[in-house]
Amino acid sequence: MIGRILLVAAREFRQIAATRSFWVTLLILPLAFAIGPIASRFLDKSDTQRVMLIDRTGGGTARAITARLDLDEQRRVLTALSRYVESHRLERADPTAPWARHDRWYSDADVARFTAAGGIEGALSRIAAVKDADTPVFEAPDPDYAIVPVPAAVAAAPPDRIDTALAPLLRPADGSKAKPLDYAVYIPADFGRSPDVRLWANGAPSGGFVGAVQQLLAQELKLRYLQANGVAAPVAIAATAIAPAIAVVVPPRGSGRERVLIRSILPLACAYILLMSLILSGSWMLQGSVEERSNKLIETVLACVSPNELMYGKLIGTVGIGLSMVATWAICGIVAAFATHGAIAEMIRPALEPVSSVGAIATILYFFVAGYIVVAMIFLVIGAVSDSMRDAQGYLTPVLLVIMIPVTILVQAVLRGASGPMIEVLTWIPLWTPFAVLARLGTGMPLWQVWAAGALTAVFILVEVVLLGRIFRASLLASGQRTDFRQVIRLMRREA
Amino acid sequence: MQHALRLDGVVKRFGAMTAVDHLSFAVAPGEVFGFLGGNGAGKTTSLRMVLDIIRPDAGSIEVLGKPPGREASGQLGFLPEERGLYRSMTALETVVYFGRLKGMTAADARGRGRLLLDRFGLGAHLRTGVDKLSKGMAQKVQLATAVVNAPRLLILDEPFSGLDPVNQGLLEDEILNAAKGGAAVVFSTHVMQHAERLCDRLLLLARGAKRFEGTQEQARATLPARLEVVARQSPATLDGVQSASAGADLGDGWTAWDVRLSPGRDPADLLQQCTERGVPLRRFEQHRPGLHDVFLHIVGPAEARA
Repeated sequence: MIGRILLVAAREFRQIAATRSFWVTLLILPLAFAIGPIASRFLDKSDTQRVMLIDRTGGGTARAITARLDLDEQRRVLTALSRYVESHRLERADPTAPWARHDRWYSDADVARFTAAGGIEGALSRIAAVKDADTPVFEAPDPDYAIVPVPAAVAAAPPDRIDTALAPLLRPADGSKAKPLDYAVYIPADFGRSPDVRLWANGAPSGGFVGAVQQLLAQELKLRYLQANGVAAPVAIAATAIAPAIAVVVPPRGSGRERVLIRSILPLACAYILLMSLILSGSWMLQGSVEERSNKLIETVLACVSPNELMYGKLIGTVGIGLSMVATWAICGIVAAFATHGAIAEMIRPALEPVSSVGAIATILYFFVAGYIVVAMIFLVIGAVSDSMRDAQGYLTPVLLVIMIPVTILVQAVLRGASGPMIEVLTWIPLWTPFAVLARLGTGMPLWQVWAAGALTAVFILVEVVLLGRIFRASLLASGQRTDFRQVIRLMRREA
Repeated sequence: MQHALRLDGVVKRFGAMTAVDHLSFAVAPGEVFGFLGGNGAGKTTSLRMVLDIIRPDAGSIEVLGKPPGREASGQLGFLPEERGLYRSMTALETVVYFGRLKGMTAADARGRGRLLLDRFGLGAHLRTGVDKLSKGMAQKVQLATAVVNAPRLLILDEPFSGLDPVNQGLLEDEILNAAKGGAAVVFSTHVMQHAERLCDRLLLLARGAKRFEGTQEQARATLPARLEVVARQSPATLDGVQSASAGADLGDGWTAWDVRLSPGRDPADLLQQCTERGVPLRRFEQHRPGLHDVFLHIVGPAEARA
């Protein structure tokens, strides 16, 4: 019996693996991942926002704003460098440098120290002395803002004509290759006496940008106010520079709120990949079980194998194809991790660490394979009750939607850190149990729930094999008969 | 002698309809057994029960001495009425696959597959995809899948339907070869010419019930013998003659007579009477009834048309 089941499974596997659609499907995901970064380079899309400062006070305010934005930029670079140093254990390059301390929010003083020590170039030269040859190169983030010069037309425009002068810069004409401005800040000549400042944004303004400008201008106003009220200039400057020294404690990477997200990456990816591989391989499963009927082969086959052997063989063959596809994707990922000198590995290492135990791996594998069997069994029966692929496709789409929509909502909910009755309910409906458990594994799902969900899935698969198996057997020789819902129930209730 | 196939009181019902009604028969090794009946007579249902594709409601079936089951598939060959092939496989892969499902090793199945396909004139198409074969070639591959395991019981359901004349001849040869090799061959058909040429014994089925089982001669004997006699006097007065109709006047007193004997009477007896009584004859020719006539006679025209 086992021999015949494996023969059917091997034929099923070979048949699907010999199709062009299989190879296209198999390669489409790795290709998309490979092409994505390459394409993004060609797209040349920069996140750096273009800022124009129109300062009619003499230029001092614009310089102050520029200095403020530059300080924030250096803080971002310092933070990124700190994560790089932490990831590659490079603190020994300069243990006293701010980038060698990771458990903090970098203050203005830290940033000033970093800049004074040569900024990023200075830090990288010290790091280069201790860095291994295979450690990837540090890539500084693109700056958030770039200050662009004020064109003569804008500089010369009277205050009531500024809007008109800025309009073509904020919204270049169709077909123009000019990059639009993201922000323009107009500081009138009477700024100080008047608090009015104007800001144009090419969309919803970022809180960070407005906050930085506001903080700087507020300092300017306070300084002028204090001086106008008789406070000596040095005192006024010191007063406006007073700021609380906030000691920020940052948890180590991969802990705190980040911990749940990182722990969920792999299980969530498995839930998504399970869903994707089922969607992609659904039509092959149908094709497999429609084929004997549509090609008038069924009697020839049934003379050699029993309906049960045929069903198990097809199930194993199609599940094998789906899992091979996923295994290939995983291998591509591993190869990519090596090919990128560990850059990807570095990225996914924190996600792998929490699920590196045998129990966690076994749980993920169990629910992945079980999820595949649960759905594959339904596809097989759809194929068995259909006379042609056209018939079968008619059932496939609604079934896929029924599976897909709740799973998509579930995964999004887990990603947002949401919890609630919907997630709980889906966990205990066997069709979605494997997806729900995979999605929830990283969120600290109680162990008893994992065991109970595992048992529920196993029982459901057994029930499927018995009940859907009856439909499969009864439908094999019932060519040309329309199988409606009542007929399906009738077939389930009695052995054919 | 152990029978290759034996059915005893087999009944199969589908709802209110009785598809097979207390069917009993047996087939010996080396015998070609015709399973004749009109459409819907129960032939395919009976064969499906033999193959354990469906189960009988009553009665028993023995296949090579055992109840039906896939354990016997290694010694069974089956060619169904509705025939198809996996379109993505090659001719040889198809034969090997079915050989392996029947318990052959890959090497044996491959060797036997090559031999058969060569014999069927497909030696140059071993690796041709089934979807690229002509209909006639595909039919040969189907036949090869049925006999790849040199079966001891070969079951053919309407094997000649849809075959071109060349492949009909090929199939007839295979049937006779299999029987010569000791295999029992059971084939269902509603085309009597094939049965006449091949069957040692036959069974006539109508509405699921057996109407006749025996040799071709026994079947023909169920019809009154018919003779064409040219004589100067009417043979109607002779013993055993049921009717004698005068035909053409051949001149000089000779007349052609269409003579029907009473059922069970032997034409040789009539010839002997003519000799003993000094009845002059210029022709005494016996018309052998065809199986078609026998079939019509036994199952009735309405059943035969079904």
